[in-house]
This record gives sequence, structure tokens and C-alpha cells, in this order.
Amino acid sequence: MTGVISGGGQWAYVAAAYILTAVLTGAVLLHSWRAMAKAEGRSDALRASNRRGETPRGDGK
Amino acid sequence: MHAYANPTRFLAIARPLTPWLLGAGLLLLLVGAWAGLTQVPGDYKQGETARILYVHVPSAWLGMGGWTALAITGLVQLVWRHPLAGIAARAVAVPGMLFTALCLATGSIWGKPTWGTWWEWDGRMTSMLVLLFLYAGFIALTSGDEGQRQGGSLSRGAAIYALVGAINIPIINRSVVWWNSLHQGPSITLRGSSIDGALLWPLGLTLLGFSCLFGAIVLMRMRRIIADNRVAARLRRLADDEGI
Repeated sequence: MTGVISGGGQWAYVAAAYILTAVLTGAVLLHSWRAMAKAEGRSDALRASNRRGETPRGDGK
Repeated sequence: MHAYANPTRFLAIARPLTPWLLGAGLLLLLVGAWAGLTQVPGDYKQGETARILYVHVPSAWLGMGGWTALAITGLVQLVWRHPLAGIAARAVAVPGMLFTALCLATGSIWGKPTWGTWWEWDGRMTSMLVLLFLYAGFIALTSGDEGQRQGGSLSRGAAIYALVGAINIPIINRSVVWWNSLHQGPSITLRGSSIDGALLWPLGLTLLGFSCLFGAIVLMRMRRIIADNRVAARLRRLADDEGI
């Protein structure tokens, strides 16, 4: 077959597939984790300030 | 099922489950990838490139499984109006699209050394590309819409879109049977596998590992939406109290 690659050259394609999968999955995982931690932190801070009777600034800082 | 439609009850399960799914997923993936790269022999025909199987097949499984989940949540939203159904659908869309894109990319990387081409407009690859576009359409349809501002529920149109899009799932599954192409036929069916056991066992680990990671990502995204909803509800109450 034309263009078929055999031997040691195949490992570059295997590495590319694994690295791409690891990088993209890691990026979505990290983004989801950070967004969740930030949102839950904001929610907890707002609840705590409500309990203390403070007026929140809305951004949770 | 209705009992867990309550966000507070759902969070009582989701909070401890998220790190467990994350930890189990990462562990299974590391062991599966290590085994797939170092412990199994190369395929007698395809050589080392067959090792791409251990990331390509789970990506395809989760891309299709993600849309199946979207269709189910769309149906649940339409019929029972579960508060969590729309939230779950929104949370599934991005990881579903990620794994569909990964399936296409790793398949293309596998195709070049095996078939001599990066891409072929055959039934399997084209229907998978359609699935990617369906995910993109769903995300565009539901980002910043009225439902997102009102607790995360899906609009009627988005729920129907998720249901109609599910027609593509059996087409993807049967495409290699209906149309002749460069893509191989179904290797793993309910009746068994045509892949030798010596090559097959790491696939079970990576399938389970990626599925756990997918579950962890969906739970994280659902927790974010619920936390954002709570902040918005509290701010609305405060504004009402102060007569703003």
C-alpha cells in the first residue's frame, strides 16, 4: 500500500496519539476542576457572609 | 430517581464520588497505558500502531455514550422536568465533544501509517464528524441562553435537538457494516471480540479509566452549575430584601 509506514517510524504516531489524548483530557479536567472550586468557593463565601449579616459584594472576594 | 433530582441530595453523593472517580480513573489509565505501550506485543499486521487502539476506542465509546446521555437527559427534561436533567446535559456536552474530537484525531493519526491517508470520507469517519458538529451545535444553542440564567434547565428546542441528534448514534455504530470502507469492521460485539486476548486486556483498563474520568468531569461541571445557581439565587434574594 502506498504511504504505509512500518518499523520504528510507527512509534512517532503512537506517541502523538497518546500525548494529544493526555494533553486535551488533562486540560478539560483541570479547567473543570478549577471552575468547580471557584464556583463552590464563591457560593460558600456568600453563604458565610449571609450568616454573619454582611452585605456581600457579589464577586465573593 | 426522582429523589436524586434534588440538588442537595445529589451533592451529598457527588461530592465524595468526584475524587474517587478521578483517582480511580487516573490509576486505571496509567496502568492501562503502561500495559498497552509496553506489556502487549505489536499487531502482526499493523505493528506498533495498533497500540493507538487503547486511546482511540475509549474516545469513540465516550463520544457516542456522551450523546446517548444527552438524549436521555433531554427526554427526562421534556417529560418529567427534572431540575438536574438540564444541568447534566450541559455538563456532558463539553467532555462529549472532547472525546469525539479525540476519536477523530487519534483515528486520523492511526490512519496515516496504516492506510496511507489521514482522512477518508467514508461512513464511519463522516458520521463521527457529524457527531462533533452536533456537539458544537448543542453547546452554541445552550451557552448563555435563558435556561442557563434560570437554573440550568434546557429549552424545549435544545432537548428536542438532543433527542433528534441521537439518530446519528446507530448510524455511527452500523456504518462499517452498511458501507465498505478503509475502516475495519466491528471488532468487539455482544457475541465476542475478534481481537486476540493478548492484545485486548489493556483496553478494558483504559475503557474503564476514561469512563471514570468522564464521570468525574461531568460531576465537576454539574457541581459548578449548581454552585453558580446558588450564588445567583442568594444575590436575587438579597436584592429583593433590599428593594433593589
